[in-house]
Amino acid sequence: MTAILVSGLRKRYGAFEAVKDVSFEVPEGQIFALLGRNGAGKTTTVELLAGLQRPDGGSVRVLGLDPVADRAAVRRRIGVMLQEAGFFPDLTVAQTVDTWRGFTSAPRPRDEALELAGLRAKAATKVRQLSGGEKRRLDLALALLGRPGVLFLDEPTAGMDPEARANTWEVVRELAREGTTILLTTHYLEEAQRLAASMAIMEEGEVVAAGDMAGTLAGLRGRVAFRLPPGVGPEDLPLPVTLDGELAVCRAGDPDLAAQTLLTWAAGRGLRLAGLEVRTATLEDLFLDLPRSTR
Amino acid sequence: MTLAATYRLGTRLFWKDRGMLIGTVITPVGLSIGLPVLMRNVTAEGVAAAAHLFHGMIAMTLAITTFMTVVVAITTRRDQLVLKRLRTTELTDAQILGGQIASVVTQTVVIIALSVLAVRLLAGVPLPGDPLLFTAAVVLGSAVMALLGAAYTAAIPRAELAAAFAMPVFLLAGVGAGAMGPIPLPSFLQAALDLLPTAAVVSAIRHGEVLVPALILAGWTVIGIAGLRLWFRWEPRRS
Repeated sequence: MTAILVSGLRKRYGAFEAVKDVSFEVPEGQIFALLGRNGAGKTTTVELLAGLQRPDGGSVRVLGLDPVADRAAVRRRIGVMLQEAGFFPDLTVAQTVDTWRGFTSAPRPRDEALELAGLRAKAATKVRQLSGGEKRRLDLALALLGRPGVLFLDEPTAGMDPEARANTWEVVRELAREGTTILLTTHYLEEAQRLAASMAIMEEGEVVAAGDMAGTLAGLRGRVAFRLPPGVGPEDLPLPVTLDGELAVCRAGDPDLAAQTLLTWAAGRGLRLAGLEVRTATLEDLFLDLPRSTR
Repeated sequence: MTLAATYRLGTRLFWKDRGMLIGTVITPVGLSIGLPVLMRNVTAEGVAAAAHLFHGMIAMTLAITTFMTVVVAITTRRDQLVLKRLRTTELTDAQILGGQIASVVTQTVVIIALSVLAVRLLAGVPLPGDPLLFTAAVVLGSAVMALLGAAYTAAIPRAELAAAFAMPVFLLAGVGAGAMGPIPLPSFLQAALDLLPTAAVVSAIRHGEVLVPALILAGWTVIGIAGLRLWFRWEPRRS
């Protein structure tokens, strides 16, 4: 079943078109990543999906419901972590969670929510004394309070240290295993690649690439990089390369094969390919491969 | 569950904020008890003058403890993006604002009730002759002022300006109710000020009027709800 269905979505602020004709769908229980740089329209899309804003065109269905018209029913079944939202600075972490439990029809116990977000030790700390990453974890605890079927996470790990980020990834994976549908936005491509089963990339309000993660990555070209040996020009090499400073970079569907070709060529001439690096395609390559006009 | 939860939240945050308590509780309570006591002791017709002034001070309390508190709380939470976060919960918009309004009204009513007792004891101002009418006027007046305060936040660009934007309302309410002493006003101006919701409350309390104050408060309720629906902002301006 489809948990999130977006078709032809549009939103404008005055003359600025933040979201232009965006469509995608997310099956139940899947992690979906919405990617793109700042200002690409990710946050507006999330706010439209969560029913915080009214679309100017197109439609949104979350669990079959319209998040604006059926707000109450949708809210009971979703959790939202906004990119930026405030807390009451003078309440403690525990008081904040307790207050939010009062707004939720079947909330998790306070300690369970704090445990999930890794905040047990901070229960008695005032929110104003939390670090940016800890506030983000409190955000997560509040979004998870109602055991949502669909979770919207807008830049969930921004400002977190690497350990907290890894913990958050684990929580997200665990929730997905339990059947929660998760839509997350991020500009950490590694995060999307590790977590998401499918993704869409937005640029200037439009989806410019989309698909399932494994298939998309398999279709991308990998990368072989090395320092160009002295006296050798790019035109001397057996495969086409681009120069990135003193690094020669060869993009290839099968980077292992390309590396072998290059090494064989070098061995035949008694050359060394210093700093040789071979890697399969990442989302970053996808970004770099996007047509210039959309970047 | 939910309206009660926002009510408790509003109340808890109100009593936690010491800075705001000085402005919205201690000052109005001090003035609405202190000035009538002073009046009682310095003028010949002491008790009558004290009673007149005390009734005027109720208008000031509605302007400060109700109106300004709501205006400051809502603009601050709007600018801190707390209202936005509250809207991601199961709360409806009406519950978010209604809980805030109900908690401020309760605080105002408690403060006015304590002031009534204090001026009775300290200045001999008689207790309300018609307690039911008095209570209704204070509760409804406070509710209307809180509603108008919520609607008024749409005009306030940012939270730092909230108190400054509330100041004219406070002055008009005070002058209109005679709480700032006898100021000779042209009759058209007095007639206009008599249409204020605070003036309606004071005329019900002072003169036992029912119909006209009820109509005035009903009119302001319509204005407040229409203003909320048309202009209320849950987030700071984007530009």
